[in-house]
Amino acid sequence: MSSTFSGLSTALSALYAQRHGMDTTGQNVANANTEGYTRQRVDMVPRGGAEVSAIHAKWDGPGVGVRVDDIKRLRDGFLESRGREEHAMNTFQNTKMSAYNRIENVFSEPSDTAMASQLADLWAGWGDVANRPGDTAAREQLLQRAAVAADGLRDGFSALSSQWGTARVQADSLVTEINNAADAVAKLNEVISQAQASGMPSNEMRDQRDLRLMDLAKLAGVSVVHRENGYTDVFLGGSTLVGGTTTRHIEILGGNRLEDQGADPVRLAWTDNGLPASAGSGSVGANLDLLNNIVPDLAGKLDAVAVSLATEVNNVHRAGFGLDGVNNRDMFVDITGVTGITARTIGVGITDPTHLAASSVAGTLDGSNAAALGNLGRLTNGPDAKYRSMVVGLGVEAQTSQRRAGIQATITNDMDALRFADAGVNLDEEMTNLIGYQKAYEAAARLMTSIDEALDVLINRTGIVGR
Amino acid sequence: MMIRSTQQSIAARVTNNLQGNLTRLGRLENMLSSGKSITRPSDSPTGAVSALQLRSQIRSQEQYVRNGDDGVGWLGTLDTTMTSSLSHIRRARDLVLTGRTASMSGSATAREAIAVEVENIRDALIDLANTTYLDRPVFGGTTTGGLAYTPAGGYAGVPTGPGATVDRTIGEGTSVRVDVTGPEVFGVNGSGTQLFEVLTAIATNMRAGDAVALGTDLGNIDTAMENLQTQLANVGSKYNRVEQMRQSVSDRTLSLRTQLSDVEDIDLPKTIMEVQLQQTAYQAALSTTARVIQPSLVDFLR
Repeated sequence: MSSTFSGLSTALSALYAQRHGMDTTGQNVANANTEGYTRQRVDMVPRGGAEVSAIHAKWDGPGVGVRVDDIKRLRDGFLESRGREEHAMNTFQNTKMSAYNRIENVFSEPSDTAMASQLADLWAGWGDVANRPGDTAAREQLLQRAAVAADGLRDGFSALSSQWGTARVQADSLVTEINNAADAVAKLNEVISQAQASGMPSNEMRDQRDLRLMDLAKLAGVSVVHRENGYTDVFLGGSTLVGGTTTRHIEILGGNRLEDQGADPVRLAWTDNGLPASAGSGSVGANLDLLNNIVPDLAGKLDAVAVSLATEVNNVHRAGFGLDGVNNRDMFVDITGVTGITARTIGVGITDPTHLAASSVAGTLDGSNAAALGNLGRLTNGPDAKYRSMVVGLGVEAQTSQRRAGIQATITNDMDALRFADAGVNLDEEMTNLIGYQKAYEAAARLMTSIDEALDVLINRTGIVGR
Repeated sequence: MMIRSTQQSIAARVTNNLQGNLTRLGRLENMLSSGKSITRPSDSPTGAVSALQLRSQIRSQEQYVRNGDDGVGWLGTLDTTMTSSLSHIRRARDLVLTGRTASMSGSATAREAIAVEVENIRDALIDLANTTYLDRPVFGGTTTGGLAYTPAGGYAGVPTGPGATVDRTIGEGTSVRVDVTGPEVFGVNGSGTQLFEVLTAIATNMRAGDAVALGTDLGNIDTAMENLQTQLANVGSKYNRVEQMRQSVSDRTLSLRTQLSDVEDIDLPKTIMEVQLQQTAYQAALSTTARVIQPSLVDFLR
């Protein structure tokens, strides 16, 4: 038989449980806009009577109320891991896209002033010298144009080089961020597993850890495995980054200048054993791609333009004679005098306009060599053609990257919307729940009142007949 | 299954859509304000490369026009100079005819007068032969000096030969010679028919009254005159050729500019239309968003 007062305890348990429900709703509403917050739900379990029967004692009454079993964190692990993958890819594509965007700004083609026009001006300048071989003004103008073209190539290279430098510094700070985030995950692992072991709530800390994991995914495209004991292990390119409460750090190695990249590529390595680490996606992945492929490729193509310009012009120029009757002069030279002509070192080697070799016969005002130089712009594999093919290559790459980034952004946004829909707080729902809890609370209070009244009858009004 | 939706997920979707709308609007407005549909290679890689090619072609066509202008200058100067030389030579020939009769009967004074006039004509012709275009003697070939002929009538320019001609490139692969050298026009020194030498001989023979020699001179001067006329015709036809080429290059430049504009300029009415549409879409999105996001159950609970 159940105790006389068991109804009171049932009502009390209901009051507790519904209060808990209202508190949880309060927490949900309070965090409706908190980044990374996962909605929580009170898991209520009916409290039954004694399940094991004993001699002379058997429970035949109803259950004895309700208890709060757990406060559940309603987040879908599968969606979460999809979200991390998509975000990793999204940052990768986005970083690449903005890098291409900046590189396109360097060349600012097509325009009336950029490199292609500077080359066209140079050829036209030779045309003017061919018309007036004896005119110092035309020669002076040509020298200026040649200097502008050489400056244009050097500026292009130095802009690429400074982009590379920025990306290199960025890579350093990204690696630091990865190490810090990994440390944070390890720390949270420790706290969460302790809380779990002692049965304390850890929902908010798990939210924090999910945020850190998302950061790691955006940085380096990590993969994640959740363990039963509350640990979450993080893997970078198949190797452990965070294992339980310990972290392995990574570092970035390689040249610090674009010129050194060829011999000493920029790469990730594990600090503990020095083995190479790999980050296929995330901003670090994009950064490494930028540092090792995109910028060096373009710099190489720009070098080819510079080399072609110098070779083609010098070959013809050496054959001609200046106004002073001297031939075998180079028009474009390596201004550093060390590495040979590249886009970084190309410069005009002639300072005296009369040294420009317009004539193919010494001591005359012949302009045929200048005319031949002016025609170099039409070469099918000359500097102009090389530059054009570089620009079109850059355009195609940039366009592809933009499209990929666009598609990936749509996918990622959809995935985010799904994640928010799954784990986010719906105020309507919370209000509905709130009403439910409130009504149940009121009902439990009413139950208590009626038991109280019943007991009142029993205690105060029973056995007073005839009094 | 009912798809769950939360305020956050709605906000995320709405933000993305508004962002997309605004980006498209920004892109269109950028096109409209710059007037270009291609402002960076990635806008259209093929378009960008055509734009680059067209620009460089336009630039070289412009240079051809400049070259043509210069060529026309040379040929025009040659044409006028040679035409006026011709009238001087005709006068000299007349004088020879007069002098030949005078040498039989006329007085030494009269012959002397004719001889002096012939010498003057010779000097005037030498001056003409030293005519310059932009400080270069037009009959001197590629000479660096300022004179094609010495005051005595000797050729001071560069003899005709490979690498000694003045050429102008007036079209793709089309190069035209825009000069004639003194020896080609006035005859080679020492050949007997060199104009200035002939005139000197005439003056000498006139003073001597040598009618037979004057007869030979008359033949020589005719040869020189014919030669000059041939060269004049040559210069005239080249002038026409360069002039025509220049015209056609100008036309080609115009057509290249049109092509360039087709490639990289926007279609104004179409773009304005698109901007309007996009603006409407953006405003509609904004106003719907304002209405959708606002209400929640909270508004309706007591």
